[in-house]
Amino acid sequence: MKIMRYIKNSSWYIRLAFILSVIGPGIIAANADNDAGGITTYSIAGAHFGTKMLWVLFLITFSLAITQEMGVRIGLVTRQGLAGVIRENFGLRLTAFAMILMLIANIGTITAEFAGVAAAFSIFGWSKYLVVPISALAVWFILYKGSFKTTQKIFLLFSFFYIVYIVNGFVVGPDFGQAAKSLITPTIEWTMPFLVTMIALIGTTITPWGQFFIQSYVVDKGLEAKHYRIERWEVFFGAFVTNIVSFFIIISTAATLYKHGIHITDASDAARALEPLAGQLAQILFAFGLFVASMLGAFILPTATAYAFCEAFGWESGFDTTWKSGKTFYGIILACIVVPVIIVLIPKISLIKIMVLSQDINGILLPFILLFVMKIINDRRIMGEHVNKPIGNIISWLTIVGILVATAALLVISFIGYY
Amino acid sequence: MLYLSQILGGRVEDSADQVVGRLKDILVESKPGNYARIVFLLVKSKKGEDIFIPYEYVESLGRQTVDLKNIFDKINLAPTPSRCIYLSRDILDQQIVDVDGARVVRVNDLSLGIFEDQMCVLGVDVSFRGILRRLGVAWLDPFRLVSVHLVDWRKVQPVKGALKLDTISSDLRKLHPADLANIIEDLNLHHGTKLVNSLESREAAKVLEELNPHLQKILIKHLGPAKAGRIIEKMSTDEIADLMQLFSQKEAQKYLSLLQDSRVEKVTKLIKYEDDTAGGLMNTDFISGHPDWTVAQMIEEIRKYSPDMRSITFVYVVDNFGKFLGPVSLRNLLLADNKEKLKELYKSADRLATLRPDYPLDKVVNLMTKYDLYSAAVISHDGKIAGVVTIDDVMRCLAPKA
Repeated sequence: MKIMRYIKNSSWYIRLAFILSVIGPGIIAANADNDAGGITTYSIAGAHFGTKMLWVLFLITFSLAITQEMGVRIGLVTRQGLAGVIRENFGLRLTAFAMILMLIANIGTITAEFAGVAAAFSIFGWSKYLVVPISALAVWFILYKGSFKTTQKIFLLFSFFYIVYIVNGFVVGPDFGQAAKSLITPTIEWTMPFLVTMIALIGTTITPWGQFFIQSYVVDKGLEAKHYRIERWEVFFGAFVTNIVSFFIIISTAATLYKHGIHITDASDAARALEPLAGQLAQILFAFGLFVASMLGAFILPTATAYAFCEAFGWESGFDTTWKSGKTFYGIILACIVVPVIIVLIPKISLIKIMVLSQDINGILLPFILLFVMKIINDRRIMGEHVNKPIGNIISWLTIVGILVATAALLVISFIGYY
Repeated sequence: MLYLSQILGGRVEDSADQVVGRLKDILVESKPGNYARIVFLLVKSKKGEDIFIPYEYVESLGRQTVDLKNIFDKINLAPTPSRCIYLSRDILDQQIVDVDGARVVRVNDLSLGIFEDQMCVLGVDVSFRGILRRLGVAWLDPFRLVSVHLVDWRKVQPVKGALKLDTISSDLRKLHPADLANIIEDLNLHHGTKLVNSLESREAAKVLEELNPHLQKILIKHLGPAKAGRIIEKMSTDEIADLMQLFSQKEAQKYLSLLQDSRVEKVTKLIKYEDDTAGGLMNTDFISGHPDWTVAQMIEEIRKYSPDMRSITFVYVVDNFGKFLGPVSLRNLLLADNKEKLKELYKSADRLATLRPDYPLDKVVNLMTKYDLYSAAVISHDGKIAGVVTIDDVMRCLAPKA
């Protein structure tokens, strides 16, 4: 048959399209972790505490892999986003609870993204009152007029920029033996700054929105059950790669800033960690990376938040809806841009603190979202034969309990410190 | 007005005021076009068992309590009913199709009431007010700024659970394929597939053509080869060609093997043309006639092939060697005498704007606009007619989002 010959002749791109259509969610979702909040938190973890937190990073690599894999599996089985699954199985009250948690966490993260934009330009002395509103307008304009998917891809591509940290890590020539030892030696300081940074480290790596994002991605792509095996390895690989980058950010800052006792108070401090590789260009390189990573998050998050809300409450969504029928959808996106911009524009507010504390909010709220995920993934009526295996449950529960203990410790310590 | 959310979880008491249990769910019998009659209460008894109480035993359905007419021992409990819809399990919080509005909504609450002496589900609350009520915070809006929006139960189509043909509302099937396609795009894939499955193949084919290509592909895979084959068979040839290009070689082969050989040949020819050319746009399903045929013969031919055609506005007159002579409009066929021959009727192709397969989209648009054509024949180099481009094919390229 002629058609077969036709397809055979062009099969190279059809095959490539097939591979690309499968590879994606895991690596993309993991890569998006390196946003403004991520880069700042990892930098601070390294600059303020050296390699002491590497063991946490080591452990949460497994947590990230497992939680993302669960998201993929729920998406493949239920064929709908996490918000929809929660609504159909937990009723309205718990849905509202989950959605409000997600909204708070996401607004926090978006605030971090705009703080990241402000911080990036502060390196060149540009005023945040100028760059933040302009970038917010740009985000809105491109979302409304342009192609969400294309823009997302472009920014994701840029965010691979953080691979320079890996190169930088080798140029710095840190003590890899010491780093390896830190990876498997739990050290903890029962102090506010340590716990705040540690929870932020967890909260920036495994995020509530990441959980929603990966599931929606799997559903939108229309992946089939037969893709599950490839997809699982891709998710594991993605978790590994993103945390390799995080590892190198931490050892870079540990070998430069921590060694000289420099505390990070603004973006230009964090940028100095790249000096061994880039020398004079370190500031520009860092500013560029921080800017694109921030814009990536600023694009994805308002839209992802709006989609989740509309899915949970049955409102019309999508950029092809009219203003009238999609007013809630557009309203949520606008609110998710305007509120963070206002917070960032508060005079004298510390951009670095915004970026770290927002990750703490994510970390503290994460266990609650994970509880929903755990309940769903272990429900035979929903998942059928695809319920969790014991190993997945053990790692997830340890993650949830770990964060809760750290949060409780933080509360106790801040309480004691107050009086 | 009584809402489901207000009575779920309420105490169920018998005529001796003994607590039987708590109301867990309500079962209804739903027929398309009617309000759904309540037939059973699902009660979680004090022992923790699920029991089904026939609705005949219910004295009153209230916000706090459900009163039964008899003492509990006198009630004949029903075995687990089949063919009933569970309101809380299958409807509440689920997606549902609002047929009148041609959209997918989420059920925030259900309103119950008496209709023709029967306790029925009357409406579906899809409003924000319903959300506030469910959350127990309706007092936040004392002035009722947020109004209740109820969709009539007879105008909705539940999608969870088994979707059998006789439970599909006929109004839904009467919707325009484009509206049905929008609905399917909004449903989750499982429900969307079920909806397509419940449609007749011909109708499903029309709906499928209206879906965005990405979803077309996913849905075809999800439907399984048997049903997918039956639907693809009913699609127009140019749409099949577009669809096949979305699949990998192996998959395309699988679906094409379900079609007749003559069909496959047509699809194969079409695929060779570039997307944005007359060849890529055209449809190869058209009716041709011989110059010596009479009008009566031609009309008979149209009757014969009409079921396979999406639309017919012209017939194309072709000589013994397959050379295209010219078109005859249905209007002229209708006005002409039955014994008149086609060769006296057709408009000569020489005096007509026709297209070549390699004409790019903008040239096609310009020609069709300039000569006010509803459809134009595509003529290949040997003078044979290859296909027909109609205005809807062109519009779809110009306004892809609609």
